[in-house]
Amino acid sequence: MLSIKNLHVSVHNTTILQGIDLTIHAGEVHAIMGPNASGKSTLAHVLAGREGYEITAGAVRYAGQDLLGMSPEERAYAGVFLAFQYPVEIPGVNSAYFLRTALNAMRQHRGLKELSARDFLALLKEKMHLVEMDQSC
Amino acid sequence: MNTAATLIDQEYTPSTVEALVTQEYKWGFVTDIEAETVPRGLNEDIVCRISAKKHEPAWLLQWRLKAYRYWTTLEKSAAEPQWANVHYAPIDYQDIIYYAAPKTQQDRPQSLDEVDPKLLETYEKLGIPLSEQKLLAGVAVDAIFDSVSVATTFKEKLAELGIIFCSFSEAVQEHPDLVREYLGSVVPYNDNFFAALNAAVFSDGSFCYIPKGVRCPMELSTYFRINAKDTGQFERTLIIADADSYVSYLEGCTAPMRDKNQLHAAVVELIALDNAQIKYSTIQNWYPGDKNGKGGIYNFVTKRGKCLGKHSQISWTQVETGSAITWKYPSCILQGDHSIGKFYSVALTNNYQQADTGTKMIHIGKHTKSTIISKGLSAGHGQNTYRGLVRIQKGATGARNYSQCDSLLLGDQCGAHTFPYLEVRNNDSVVEHEATTSKISEEQLFYCRQRGISAEDAVSMIVSGFCKEVFRELPMEFAVEAQKLLGVSLEGSVG
Repeated sequence: MLSIKNLHVSVHNTTILQGIDLTIHAGEVHAIMGPNASGKSTLAHVLAGREGYEITAGAVRYAGQDLLGMSPEERAYAGVFLAFQYPVEIPGVNSAYFLRTALNAMRQHRGLKELSARDFLALLKEKMHLVEMDQSC
Repeated sequence: MNTAATLIDQEYTPSTVEALVTQEYKWGFVTDIEAETVPRGLNEDIVCRISAKKHEPAWLLQWRLKAYRYWTTLEKSAAEPQWANVHYAPIDYQDIIYYAAPKTQQDRPQSLDEVDPKLLETYEKLGIPLSEQKLLAGVAVDAIFDSVSVATTFKEKLAELGIIFCSFSEAVQEHPDLVREYLGSVVPYNDNFFAALNAAVFSDGSFCYIPKGVRCPMELSTYFRINAKDTGQFERTLIIADADSYVSYLEGCTAPMRDKNQLHAAVVELIALDNAQIKYSTIQNWYPGDKNGKGGIYNFVTKRGKCLGKHSQISWTQVETGSAITWKYPSCILQGDHSIGKFYSVALTNNYQQADTGTKMIHIGKHTKSTIISKGLSAGHGQNTYRGLVRIQKGATGARNYSQCDSLLLGDQCGAHTFPYLEVRNNDSVVEHEATTSKISEEQLFYCRQRGISAEDAVSMIVSGFCKEVFRELPMEFAVEAQKLLGVSLEGSVG
């Protein structure tokens, strides 16, 4: 499903990743561990397509496609999801609106009808219940 | 997959947020209509001619002439305002045509059916059908094409309530007493250079009077359009809200694409008597010039409201996306005790646009309150300035002001400037000022894109969030229009 071959990445001419090789098959769960500054986040960001990283060597294939040649949103559509340790705040945009915009961007890409605010709210409540999230706030 | 915190999460050069470029102006068409104009240039004869064309009473002509003479003294002493943070080549006031009217105006249309179909087509293109369909939307429209008011819809329906909503010229004929009493009472003819010019040559505009105790049931609206070449537009709007009345008024504007700059110097006067409330919203989308800064409208406008009565309220909401240069400070004179003034503004400058805009809140009455929320967006080489004055007079005890000025920069070639002036002349008033300057961060963009939102949609969402406090002050349908307009004006902004 995901195959990383000999990946070299540098930031501001400092080499961070030096030849990562990793193959993950569908259905597998992997945890990448290591001390601070060992390049865990760099790997995650490079896979998700964040700017500011220079890929000096190597290749990444995902579901038969060249992952590194895709834009961040194309990778998102293909199923690459990055959970942010510190999600950024966008002033004036509430979480529900953000989530709905993201969901609808995805639905649109898949040729599905956009969810109305009302339908989305119902879905949101259902999922919040599922993960036992407090709905009072 | 979970990411751990590492040093990579810090330092970013926001390379994604690039300078804004290329956006086509969609309202740049020219309507091929024969126009009746006065000769180019300005002198007493031109002023008299304009007045004569409108069959004005002698007092009004005298007022115009006083204004003209005052303006010439200013012009001779080169007293055109220089303090604003905008730069432009000197304007040749003798090279402007001060009056242009579609020819059919010779015999004024009595109803919509008589209006030149081409004009109506123009308004359709602008998305403001003058047809009765608008009734459903609850908007009564007065449309100003070049210098004259073309048609006013729903006049009869409003008349049943005693509301007067008509062109300025008509008001001069039909309601001379009201016009004479209030004209120049908020913005005198000698207020400033452009106000004096306007007073001398203003050609038309809207007039509105809401009688005592009446709540205007629909949004009143004026659409301004400059069509003819080399003309200036000088309209004048006067709104009077009598005691215990309420009115919400909307104003929109567009102009064709011309590579020469055109001057728009309007004056708006609002008067609110006891307990009256006026809500004035503007969506200004004059032609901003091309992406190299050629052409575009000089929007030099004086807008002021006077809260004359106690507990009266005036609120200005503006969304400024057009014009090559904007020089505009919708202000409130809070004269009545407990009166309230509000100013909500979004100003966008892209390419080579310049805006110097803000407000003045003059607290005179006791326990007067004012709120200022200003959102400046700069992109491309745009320069955006907030300039505001909050003055608390000695007698304005217990006055209260809150100001918030936020600037958002898109790209690294643009600028945001803030000049707040606060003058407090007593010691029991409270004045607050908050300001922020921010950029769209690469991190915010990446976060959105990682969730499948395209860069352009992400910018548009971030900008809408930034402007939310202002947009929610706009009537619903205009809020949607404003949001779209910002989206369009920023298109192609991110690489």
